[in-house]
Amino acid sequence: MKISSQKVNDMSVISIVGSIDGLTAPELTEFIKSQIETGETNLVIDLDQVNFMSSAGLRAILTGLKSIRDQGGEIYLAAPQPGIEKTLRISGFNKIIKIFPTFNEAIASYHLK
Amino acid sequence: MKEKFQITQSAELTSLSTFRKFIRSACQDNQILDLPTQYDLQLAMDEACTNIITHGYADMNPGSIIIEMEFKIDQVVMEITDFGHPFEPVETSAPDLEAIMQDIPTQGFGLFFIYQAMDNVDYETTAYGNHLRLSKKI
Repeated sequence: MKISSQKVNDMSVISIVGSIDGLTAPELTEFIKSQIETGETNLVIDLDQVNFMSSAGLRAILTGLKSIRDQGGEIYLAAPQPGIEKTLRISGFNKIIKIFPTFNEAIASYHLK
Repeated sequence: MKEKFQITQSAELTSLSTFRKFIRSACQDNQILDLPTQYDLQLAMDEACTNIITHGYADMNPGSIIIEMEFKIDQVVMEITDFGHPFEPVETSAPDLEAIMQDIPTQGFGLFFIYQAMDNVDYETTAYGNHLRLSKKI
């Protein structure tokens, strides 16, 4: 898994390439943590290039979500592939976090709030 | 077109990606090109193997995990065998995401996905290991 970030206006966009599973999820947890520590509290996680995510990945996102909301911030998810979209939906993720079908919609929605 | 496939890897998290690739290759070999089905098989296996690695072989030297796949006319059967502590996968309801966010210990997140992804889940412990048998209609 490769993970990187870039600023887009007021948001930090986290781009992930590869799979998020029991092996790689801790790296995502630490990356989100480092974002918060550097003052980035409005994150978009771009899932367009993520081909697999298990419950370990969902836990990593939840851990980050709690920490960032404690700081008054938010995480949006963008562009999940079909398999991941299904796991997010059936686990109820869409009820606690905003998930956008495309990256551009996630960025646009932040600026509309 | 081959009907049965088998792979053995060490029970370590680094083996998860190898197992997923094995499943994709076996599916493609048998013309199971439906991506949602391939994904469900990978997800169920990944969750089961993660449980085996983190719980089944807890406090033990890493053992092995054997995955056998059999393609029948109307279903795929996947059997996952390990030699660690028995860990029967009991069906659970949807995960309590709020509790997870509050760091309240919860179990069953992975088990929930196994039961959502597969049509049948059977478990048996024998003298020759623990056998998790997962099947999905195709």
